[in-house]
Amino acid sequence: MTMDRKAILTELKKVLAPYTENKEMLDGINEDTDLIKDLKINSANLVDIIIDAESQYNIEIDFNSAEKMFKVGSGIDVIIEKMNLSA
Amino acid sequence: MKSTGNDIVALGSIDNQRTGQFRFYSKILSTSEQALYHQPQFAEMPFKNYVWLLWSVKESAYKYLKRNLPGLVFSPAKIIIQHIEIPIGGLGKLESIQWDGNGDNQAFYRGKVVYESYSLYFRSKINGEWIATVVNDTESFENVYWGIQSIVATGYDHQSKEARTLLLSRLHSFFPGNLQVGKSPLGYPVIIKDTEDMHIPVSLAHDDHFVAYSFILDPVDSN
Repeated sequence: MTMDRKAILTELKKVLAPYTENKEMLDGINEDTDLIKDLKINSANLVDIIIDAESQYNIEIDFNSAEKMFKVGSGIDVIIEKMNLSA
Repeated sequence: MKSTGNDIVALGSIDNQRTGQFRFYSKILSTSEQALYHQPQFAEMPFKNYVWLLWSVKESAYKYLKRNLPGLVFSPAKIIIQHIEIPIGGLGKLESIQWDGNGDNQAFYRGKVVYESYSLYFRSKINGEWIATVVNDTESFENVYWGIQSIVATGYDHQSKEARTLLLSRLHSFFPGNLQVGKSPLGYPVIIKDTEDMHIPVSLAHDDHFVAYSFILDPVDSN
């Protein structure tokens, strides 16, 4: 089953929630949202987010892909790419 | 351009179980760094401390390099710690939460970290509550200033404000007057005095109940 970007964004909010202080900001994220600059997520939690996303989508995210995931939109790109690889 | 970079990790806020999982630490530590942990000097260091010590070095190095490499993205496993020396006498007692570059070298974890063709050097402190690091581009940390403080409340805005206040209180001992912390167009902190950028490299960090700063002065300013 293929998920569309909007559905992934909705699920990503759940992945990001434990690491985001500002829940109102989280509700309003879009593909341009920067995880550190906009959501003020502690950089030490970025690895947690990568691992939680791996579990959520049953994918593996390598170093080169992980470093693209500082924005919501590029994170969705990586998730779709990896889901297609494992399909 | 001269730069600085620091980081602090609150040990109380880390997930010990997750830190010990290969799928977690392998996203932070390179293969060579995983092997380095098995050297005899780390026999008494808990693995979680090792992982987060190296994280704090990598994040500090990233902050240092970002000033001169604006497009750099933090990818911890690509910033490699080449060697680490441990403090003489083990962890020792924590004498101070404020240091300048003339401090006792042997009281710190210290070593070399590389990213592509760039080499940096680090000093780190570990106590029961936090791991903190500062990096510089030479083995000498003369004129590098570094401080850490605990704070009562958490929350991003409060932590950020407390870190700035701590930094400014130290800078005021060198530069009396109206100092403020601003932000460069690239996002790193800058020191403003009477609307002018003072071009002092500064770095700020916070995690949980702890805030920290580092800055480097020209030798003429530090006298």
